[in-house]
Amino acid sequence: MSRPRIAAIVTEYRRYSHAQHILDRYLFGYGWNGAHHIPPIDLVSLYTDQQPEGELSRSRSESCPQMKIFPTIAEALTLGGEELAVDGVLLIGEHGNYPSNDKGQRLYPRYEFFQEIVSVFRDSGRSVPVFNDKHLSWNWEWAKEMVDISRELDFPLLAGSSLPVTRRLPQIDMPLGSKVEEAMCIAVGGVDGYDIHALEAMQSMVERRRGGETGVQWIQAFRGADAVMQALKAGSFDAGGWDPDLFRACLCRSHRLVPTRQGFNHHLLTDDDVHSLLTAEENNNVPVLYRYQHHDGLKMNMLLIEGVVHDFTFAARLSDQTKPFSLQMYLNPREVCNFFNPLTYATERLFLERRSPYPVERTLLTTGLTAAGVESLYQDQARLKTPHLDIRYRPERKSTFWNN
Amino acid sequence: MAINHTRRDFLEASAATALASTALQSTSASRETPRKNIAIITTLWSYLRHGQHISDRFLVGYPWEGDWHDPQVQVVSAFVAQTPTAADMESRAAEFGFPQGDLSAERARQFDIELHTTIAAALRRGGDELAVDGVVIIAEHGEYPYNDKGQQLYPRFDFFSQVADVFEEDGHSVPVFNDKHLSFDFKKASSMVDTSSRLGFPLLAGSSLPVTWRMPEMEIPLGANVTEALVIDPGTSLDSSGLHSLEAMQCLVERRKGGESGVASVQLLEGDAVWQAMDQGAWSHDLMSRALSRADLVEGITLVDARTQNLASPGVLQEIVAEPRAVLISYRDGLKATMLMLSGAIGDYTAALRVGRRGEVYSTKFHLPAEPNVAYSACLAHHIEEMIVTGSPNYPVQRTLLVSGVLEAAHNSRVNGHKLLETPQLAVEYQPPRQSQYCRS
Repeated sequence: MSRPRIAAIVTEYRRYSHAQHILDRYLFGYGWNGAHHIPPIDLVSLYTDQQPEGELSRSRSESCPQMKIFPTIAEALTLGGEELAVDGVLLIGEHGNYPSNDKGQRLYPRYEFFQEIVSVFRDSGRSVPVFNDKHLSWNWEWAKEMVDISRELDFPLLAGSSLPVTRRLPQIDMPLGSKVEEAMCIAVGGVDGYDIHALEAMQSMVERRRGGETGVQWIQAFRGADAVMQALKAGSFDAGGWDPDLFRACLCRSHRLVPTRQGFNHHLLTDDDVHSLLTAEENNNVPVLYRYQHHDGLKMNMLLIEGVVHDFTFAARLSDQTKPFSLQMYLNPREVCNFFNPLTYATERLFLERRSPYPVERTLLTTGLTAAGVESLYQDQARLKTPHLDIRYRPERKSTFWNN
Repeated sequence: MAINHTRRDFLEASAATALASTALQSTSASRETPRKNIAIITTLWSYLRHGQHISDRFLVGYPWEGDWHDPQVQVVSAFVAQTPTAADMESRAAEFGFPQGDLSAERARQFDIELHTTIAAALRRGGDELAVDGVVIIAEHGEYPYNDKGQQLYPRFDFFSQVADVFEEDGHSVPVFNDKHLSFDFKKASSMVDTSSRLGFPLLAGSSLPVTWRMPEMEIPLGANVTEALVIDPGTSLDSSGLHSLEAMQCLVERRKGGESGVASVQLLEGDAVWQAMDQGAWSHDLMSRALSRADLVEGITLVDARTQNLASPGVLQEIVAEPRAVLISYRDGLKATMLMLSGAIGDYTAALRVGRRGEVYSTKFHLPAEPNVAYSACLAHHIEEMIVTGSPNYPVQRTLLVSGVLEAAHNSRVNGHKLLETPQLAVEYQPPRQSQYCRS
């Protein structure tokens, strides 16, 4: 096929916004497989919902005139004509000035953008692959509808975070068919922003377990140092906490573990150390814990404890191994953010192969988990049944993380 | 100053206090074999200096293979040559946000380490004969003069000689680790290796770069036909940073067919001469391009508006690298290798090698985890510990010897009009370890 031409529908194109990271990689290339890779795809149109001061879309369009700016989503997809005129769509609805609801969810217009995109598909009588950055929507019903529409109109839909595809230390994947009993991710950031990254990082690992994905039965979220300390001391998942070996393995995989003993640069944290870091005056992060269980019994713990660590680590208890399976999901410093390299490459595969490189059901499930976690916090940390998260799927057999 | 109570007393006492760490408590329990006693011989024991972040690994443990490793060695004595200057303490206090200074006295109290005022006393623990099972020499950082070539005159040879004198006088020897290059002077470096052979003790040396994580995982197949190698160094100091990049490259090229046979000539280029050599094809553009593509820390226009860029595009490096350097190395078996110092372009150490008849390129980044954890030194500490416990180094000291000599030759080229210098003294022959030794588990 000839070089695909794609449109980008984004909230804003400014320094360090997700749109900047992904679109710049289309315009200027990036390091991939030991070379500077220029995508064999033309980014020909751009819609930006907001243009804050200092934004980059205008200057980028001037220096890269093949990327034309259009005032509406429909025009960006039709290139100003009557019909769909592109071979793929990047939907990047992250960052920008959008309101939050009283649950603390930022109301990014991903669903609204998606609806405008599929409206052009319907009018044109044909559809092209779509990538949706991060979770599908803050609203579960809408997310579900987005996936349903992609099936109805029969176009490949790829979505999600860069965490599942970034580099790992060590460079390993969950062996396909593993018997996984319990898993944990320790990460940074807060709800409705970073929980999705951590949840999806974990999901990309545990979906490879024996039997594949079966969906999630219930979730309970907690906020605050006291709740996290209580879970830390509980000693097991069934007692309200987690397997302590998994917590220890995550700390040992961290390369940005905050030392509490002045003058020491790196030491293992005791429970008291964790408490003092969680409650330190200079730590403005509210610790968050999501506990949930899959239909097949798999126990899950997602812990956002920035200030104790400053990176993403994962550990899992496998039935046939005494030592936890563990690794770090590596995030490069912000100036370059090369974890967008493998995500951008995944979008290229989507457009070139017209097939999602990994199942959108993963992101549908993590979108639902994110919304349910936020809901649990909103309902005073209630344990919520999640019958709607009865999502079954099989993973890709081949690893899709960045290992070249 | 020796401390009266025993380590066991200390551990029992500290276990009862809130100060005790998990790592400390774990060291007092479930020990099957007695730990090897080691002495730390260092220039400075202050925050985030090599003397601190390597030595402390043996006090509080370190991450290894997804767990916290309880070291099989224990630091029983130390010699610390200097304390930080007032100016150094002031600038580092501003950088790190807490008071800085010598940490050795505090460590001695907390971990029951004897601090001695001479190296011999540290090794003999105040007695009459050698009383440790291993010696760790860390002579990096501290106030030491520079020579007119730009080499800082760290007393590694002096420290080593004092250690060897004790071995010789007392009639037995133990394993020694020497951090970074053996000496600024190849003759001295060479005599250190000779002394270790003569007295029959294992000697391990060098940088953490060869053993730290690689992104992606990459190793040169043993016996491969390596036809060209290139390493990029993000540093500004040929003497300090150059050792790291040269040794990172050496640990890859030594795996080529026939093993290491030594270096025939070395030339240092600085300034515009680097760009002229680049234009004349002194090294392959595609190897440089591939090594640059491995960087995760990129400067230039990326720092202006965050865009990605191809640093190998015409004119880019010339614009953003103010003080380029190139060390051109010809090996005795014909291999050509280049070390490029490109401060201002990237912030990572990366390498690319051409291998085999089809010219396949292998490339990677030597990953250096961030401060304060600087987890790369845990990778090095592991190899130090293994040598002291097993009595056999995991990789040959000749690697570091050769690199010490290449680095000195580059400095000699600098003060000899940047001429190409023949290096008959660098006929250093050795075979690489069969097993890959970098951190990947």
